[in-house]
Amino acid sequence: MSTGVSTGARGRLSAVYGGNARAVIERGFRVIARQNWMILVSGFFEPVLYLLAMGLGLGALVGEVEGPGGSSIPYTAYIAPALLATSAMNGAIYDSTWNVFFKLRFARLYQAMLQTSLGPMDVALGEIFLALFRGFLYACGFMVVMLVMGLVTSPWALLMIPVALLIALGFASFGMAVTSYLKSFQQMDVVNFVMLPMFLFSATLYPIEVFPEAIQWFIKAMPLWHGVELMRHLAVGYLSWAAVGHALYFVVMTVVGVWFTTVRLRALFLR
Amino acid sequence: MTDNIQDLRQLAASGRVPAPEVLAARSRRWGWWYFVEYWLRTARAWFVSILVYMVGEPLLYLVALGLGLGALVDSGVGTVDGVSYLVFVAPALLISTVVMSTGGELTYPVMAGFKWDRLYYGPAATPVTPAQIAVGQFLGVMIRFTLQAGIFWAMLLAFGAAPRGWAISLLTIPIAVLTAAAFGAPLQAYAASLTDEGYQFAFVQRFVIMPMFLFAGTFFPLSSMPGYLHWIGWVSPVWHGTQLSRQVTYGAVEPAWLTVVHIAFLVVLTALGLVWARRNYTVRLGS
Repeated sequence: MSTGVSTGARGRLSAVYGGNARAVIERGFRVIARQNWMILVSGFFEPVLYLLAMGLGLGALVGEVEGPGGSSIPYTAYIAPALLATSAMNGAIYDSTWNVFFKLRFARLYQAMLQTSLGPMDVALGEIFLALFRGFLYACGFMVVMLVMGLVTSPWALLMIPVALLIALGFASFGMAVTSYLKSFQQMDVVNFVMLPMFLFSATLYPIEVFPEAIQWFIKAMPLWHGVELMRHLAVGYLSWAAVGHALYFVVMTVVGVWFTTVRLRALFLR
Repeated sequence: MTDNIQDLRQLAASGRVPAPEVLAARSRRWGWWYFVEYWLRTARAWFVSILVYMVGEPLLYLVALGLGLGALVDSGVGTVDGVSYLVFVAPALLISTVVMSTGGELTYPVMAGFKWDRLYYGPAATPVTPAQIAVGQFLGVMIRFTLQAGIFWAMLLAFGAAPRGWAISLLTIPIAVLTAAAFGAPLQAYAASLTDEGYQFAFVQRFVIMPMFLFAGTFFPLSSMPGYLHWIGWVSPVWHGTQLSRQVTYGAVEPAWLTVVHIAFLVVLTALGLVWARRNYTVRLGS
């Protein structure tokens, strides 16, 4: 029960929000500091290894490709922004599915948290913040690698960091809602079944024009394609209204995802 | 000895049990197979999801990387190693995906056998020896990989990615299983030596399996990388398996001695891995 000051939105939210997401975040940082910072750091290497392998080896086979706006760019510069977008997706999905699933079903961490003054929304906000923090670290690290390799040719590329967070936010907000339906580890495969094709087909490693138009439309309906396009445009500083559209896709995705997650968390916890 | 199934059924129906020493002798001899059988029976529970994965994964990789990426590469350099990119990359994808599956089958399940479910301790309390358990687990997984490689091979044919024909390219199945064994046996031994789950498996995934997938000649010949990176291919089972597989699918040209080196490398790694795994299981289950 909230007392006295609770009016308006705060009053209506008091059933789900205890106003203390900070406690969840602080716990997260303590865990990172004590145990799993090595896993966290190693995650940075995944996109970098992809970039090196594909850039060094495949780049030699492919040569130059057509970048945004019809300019010709080296293959490494073509895939780098796509790998950053994919890494943002992977990190967000990992954090909001595997990680949350384990805490929900095995460690029963959230049940413990809800015995305190925390509400489901504190938990959700805290977890999403932690996922974004991780995404922020990876995006910054990847930007440094791109700078060193001479792949950054426009000051607009700096915007790739907030965009990585936007992509991560979109996926994370949905990931948690999906996780709330899962009961067993086997069902986690379903998540991989969506992620792997999305990575393989979303214009990450080659343009989607090689596929028939019907398949192209299907790919364009998927979120990762929008992330890849947006990143690629920013990387070379080619700006058009399309970029705004791609960004809006993730804004809408986030809003719907957060609403969906809140509904699911209420159903899950407040029974 | 009554190993004949009819006799065993009669024996079971009669309610009598063979003398303990007879049963013990049978277990000492067939213990490894008992464990394989156990593994296969458990695998039945998630067979459908494995099957979907075994069919879906090759399909995705062949369409996305063989056809999609292939269109880009073919318009860039024309041919790689004298063939289209699809033909070049397909056998490598077959080998890589099977080897990558060892990362799922011979890491956490091994730790579960010792630590979480403790499934190894039951058989180890019988005359089945720890070494037989190690081999049984290993063979069970290899049977799965044979099926997985077989499905991928059938897709290779369907995509027209094996120009030398089905008869000779069929050899790619044993090559894939041998490659998976060469990586899987040492991995199983390593997993059996760990007592605590920490970052180790994640590290194997990120710093061994993934680089092997990316840098060991899967997507491009080693020669298109700078010379100082070639050693990554030489020490990777995936490169040796892939090169063998390319010979049988499209007739990649290599000196005979190199073919011998490929096979010897894979066989030796498998043997060493199994010896090490048997020892680790024996030490751990014996204490």
